[in-house]
Amino acid sequence: MAQRRAASRHRAAQDPLGPRLARLVHDPLSPRVGKLARAGEPTLLKLVRNRRQVIIGLGAGVVATGAVGSAAAVLGGGDGISAALGDAATSTRTPREAGAFADRDASYTQSLGDSIDLGAAGLADTASAAAAAAAKAIPTSPNLLSRDPILHMLRRATFGPTRALVDAATKAGIDEWLEQQLAPATIDDPVAEKALEAFPTVRMTTAQIRRTVKEFDWQAQYELGQATLARQFWSNRQLFEVMVDFWSNHLNVTNPFDGGWDVRTSYDNDVIRKHALGTFSDMLKASARHPAMLRYLDNAASDRRSVNENYGRELLELHTVGIDGGYTEKDVRNSAYIMTGRTVSNDGQFRYEASRHWIDPVRVLGFKHPNPSRSKGLEVGEKYLSYLATHPSTAKNIARKLAVRFVCDTPPNGLVQRLADTYLAHGTAIAPVLRVLFRSKEFWIATGLKTRRPLENFVATARALGVAPGSDTRAGVEGLYWMTQRFGQAPLAWVPPNGYPDVAAAWRSAHATLAIWNAHRALVQGWERGLSYPKVEGLVGRRPATTGPYLDSLASRLVFQKVAAPHRKALLAFLSAKDGTAVRNGSLGGKVEHLAPLLLDSIYHALR
Amino acid sequence: MTVYRGSVPRPRTAAELARFGPTLPEAAIRVQAEAVAADLAAQRDAWRKGFTRRRVLAGAGAVGVASLANQLTTTRVAFGAPATTKRTLVVVFLRGGMDGLSVVVPRDDRNYLDARRGIAVPTGALVAGDARFGLHPGLAPLTPFWEAGKMAAVHAVASPDASRSHFQAQDCLERGAAATSVHTGFLDRVLEELGPGTTFRAIAEGSALPRSLVGGQSKLVLQGIRDFDLQAGGGMREKTLTALKALYTGVGDHPLGSQAAETLKSIATARRIAQSGFQSSVQWPGGGFADQLKDVARLIKAKVGLRVAAVDIGGWDMHTNIGGPDGGDMRNRLNELGGALAAFAGELGPALDDVTVVTMSEFGRRVEANGNSGTDHGHGGVMLLLGGGLDGGKVHGRWPGLAPGALDQGDLAGANDYRDVLSELLDARLGVKNWKKIFPDYERRKIGVFA
Repeated sequence: MAQRRAASRHRAAQDPLGPRLARLVHDPLSPRVGKLARAGEPTLLKLVRNRRQVIIGLGAGVVATGAVGSAAAVLGGGDGISAALGDAATSTRTPREAGAFADRDASYTQSLGDSIDLGAAGLADTASAAAAAAAKAIPTSPNLLSRDPILHMLRRATFGPTRALVDAATKAGIDEWLEQQLAPATIDDPVAEKALEAFPTVRMTTAQIRRTVKEFDWQAQYELGQATLARQFWSNRQLFEVMVDFWSNHLNVTNPFDGGWDVRTSYDNDVIRKHALGTFSDMLKASARHPAMLRYLDNAASDRRSVNENYGRELLELHTVGIDGGYTEKDVRNSAYIMTGRTVSNDGQFRYEASRHWIDPVRVLGFKHPNPSRSKGLEVGEKYLSYLATHPSTAKNIARKLAVRFVCDTPPNGLVQRLADTYLAHGTAIAPVLRVLFRSKEFWIATGLKTRRPLENFVATARALGVAPGSDTRAGVEGLYWMTQRFGQAPLAWVPPNGYPDVAAAWRSAHATLAIWNAHRALVQGWERGLSYPKVEGLVGRRPATTGPYLDSLASRLVFQKVAAPHRKALLAFLSAKDGTAVRNGSLGGKVEHLAPLLLDSIYHALR
Repeated sequence: MTVYRGSVPRPRTAAELARFGPTLPEAAIRVQAEAVAADLAAQRDAWRKGFTRRRVLAGAGAVGVASLANQLTTTRVAFGAPATTKRTLVVVFLRGGMDGLSVVVPRDDRNYLDARRGIAVPTGALVAGDARFGLHPGLAPLTPFWEAGKMAAVHAVASPDASRSHFQAQDCLERGAAATSVHTGFLDRVLEELGPGTTFRAIAEGSALPRSLVGGQSKLVLQGIRDFDLQAGGGMREKTLTALKALYTGVGDHPLGSQAAETLKSIATARRIAQSGFQSSVQWPGGGFADQLKDVARLIKAKVGLRVAAVDIGGWDMHTNIGGPDGGDMRNRLNELGGALAAFAGELGPALDDVTVVTMSEFGRRVEANGNSGTDHGHGGVMLLLGGGLDGGKVHGRWPGLAPGALDQGDLAGANDYRDVLSELLDARLGVKNWKKIFPDYERRKIGVFA
């Protein structure tokens, strides 16, 4: 009682669970509870049907979002999406057939993808050959971003170019740079490693976190989010970090959340990071027995007497085959049956409870198993997961998401198919798929076709400016983390299981745009203490004598290219100067700290 | 893609929706984009035939039309006749579990007086109210509104799915459902039903978005309208805004161009509101909550299309020393709540008729006082309502009483579902009738709190 009294005085999102609820969170489902629940006894239900998995939701700490799409919102709303439907003349499929299997895959992107012609298509022998071929072709969607292949590669394969990185990549050349990045263990990472020391829990096991962090406290989860930010800023293993981000969204387990207080860090290390450049099959199987996932999607509470379909459904819909896989509600049910028994012990470890496993023949899509034995239920699950991981719809699903991340919001079907085929041909291995992606001309012709989402914009800004660890790295990164909450994209914090949207239209928001413009000023002017912010006036290096060239130098430094004539004119007008106006001091009379953010606000930084 | 005119099929299942894109969010975006295009075309068609804009709006699925001639920003489209669009809903979440029995007090109730020995509010101290209940004197500033029929209460309200955990109970109330598969907040679904609007159609005061607003509809998180501004100091603000406008001209038809223009317009609107020399017509109390309500009032009076506002006030988790009618924690909290709400209502004046304020709290408190002159987490609580269209001056809802046999594990029973109140509100005041969509897995029961 006393602890509850003391603890519940504040209304912060970190309210610890009451002791009674806490015990139930960790208890396996009590049959009495289940029986009462089914009995429909309303008064007892109130006390007893507490969320044994206190999963989604952050109370007052939820991120501020702009206009972001959500599959869950779409689905939860039933027929809440209105449509004056476009003419689906390119496909003769009826809605009923939409539930079908196999060859229906193509019709998905057919109406979107095949008609998308970026200006170049096909596979070359090497990445640099593909880049050269694309350089000669004419993009169908020209834009203001430089088509320089090194810049393009860095904009897509990292969280943002830096001057040093451009030089290093130019020196190594496209092919070698990419191969280096695909072997992250061989890349030294001193700055990021040192910065991570400020977040000690990120290297801890679940057991260690349980000994270090106060029970139910979200400290380890906040550290994880902050460390993620630090890694995106400073790691040299950039492509690896991009893939960690990609998979964290695909197999989303929100951070922070109540059920993750002890286990979420391990999820990041042992499921995502361990397999990000490995095989999807391994990653999927690891996620299917990780306490964080099992709590997040209710599987830890699922039991053969009271099956919870949440995980079984999302496994099909989001993690593997997707709606396109054509599964039915019956498949969802069976999927949930197969997964019963996988639960979490009282000390946050995975446990398979044979007594909770549903037995009798199961069937999901093309997967069938007699499933006769409770003690062997785990193996049935493993076979099922193998089936799902290697399903052509899964291949297509993942291929498309990769193409959306790396190429453009509506990627051509030829590219997607090529990636899917590679995925299957290599036993769900990820690195080969990435190699084929970089050898594809579609990748290289798509310069400037992606819009940076708020977090990407933010990290690219910090990288371009050269923000570095400082006297109090922890406090500094923490401050920036709270800033990312303001514009609605704190790392790992997307609440539903479908991950942050990856298309520009989902991020249209006056609020988010304003917040990111303000964040540019905060970073340029170094408002947050603790990190080391380079002096703005030092950004141009050797100071040109006149304003025009100064502006060009600053642009080259921050957005890595020249800006178009009308924009250049606008910026000179902002400085109340002309091209030839002499530069008297490095700070342009104090104006450079307002000029630099403008360059970052511009479309040259907003696109990637 | 050619565009359908007239009645068009729309995706009814996820499978149908999924045909339009590789993932559901993208399919939704695509479908909506086509909806906008088709509707604009239909609208142009209608106008050519001599329809007025009003009639087009009154038809089904008015999508791309900016009814307030301001910026249009929603990326989601709601099907169905648009609701009455000039009213505003203000949801005040009392975080911590407000003790309904101390706020709307049963008169001369033996069970109450016995259970709350030491902390009961004596009947003689009560203000306003009706035959059965009186209000805690801390709410005295609201008495005029109660007596004018502009305020009402519903007692013994709860969610059947709420436990005694702050977090879980808040979460399920704000999502409007128990099922964890419901990811959006209920207010987000309300916004979807309301249809498109202006940049300022949904705001949350504070620094974070409340769970009830989480979802795909566009909304703003404001820390005061004054702070919704470009933070360019040193006298460079105007020049910066000019430069930004120029930087996003000459980008072809790139969507970032219109997005930037939209943002600049909202900043300008916010600035105009912030600078409009807002003269309060009433005396406002101090404090963060009052400031936030003042902001909301200001936005309502500025007529920028505000439909839904969410404000939080904490400090209700009174496990110890709740105090008495003349002083103490409860009196202080109610002073703050009542004072701010009264100022809000006064500020709006006649505009109050188009506004409804509703308070929610995750649960009430236990009937029996604890050993520290306070109460612990309970179940049934109170919802207060303020605004137009009420059957006011009364306490509504089924009252189960406080006899030991009527209690739920020692708590006031949840004889009324909080969604009964909200669905009635949405229907009567905002014209949102599709309550099944807002509250899945819920069967509606009438309360009768709206006239």
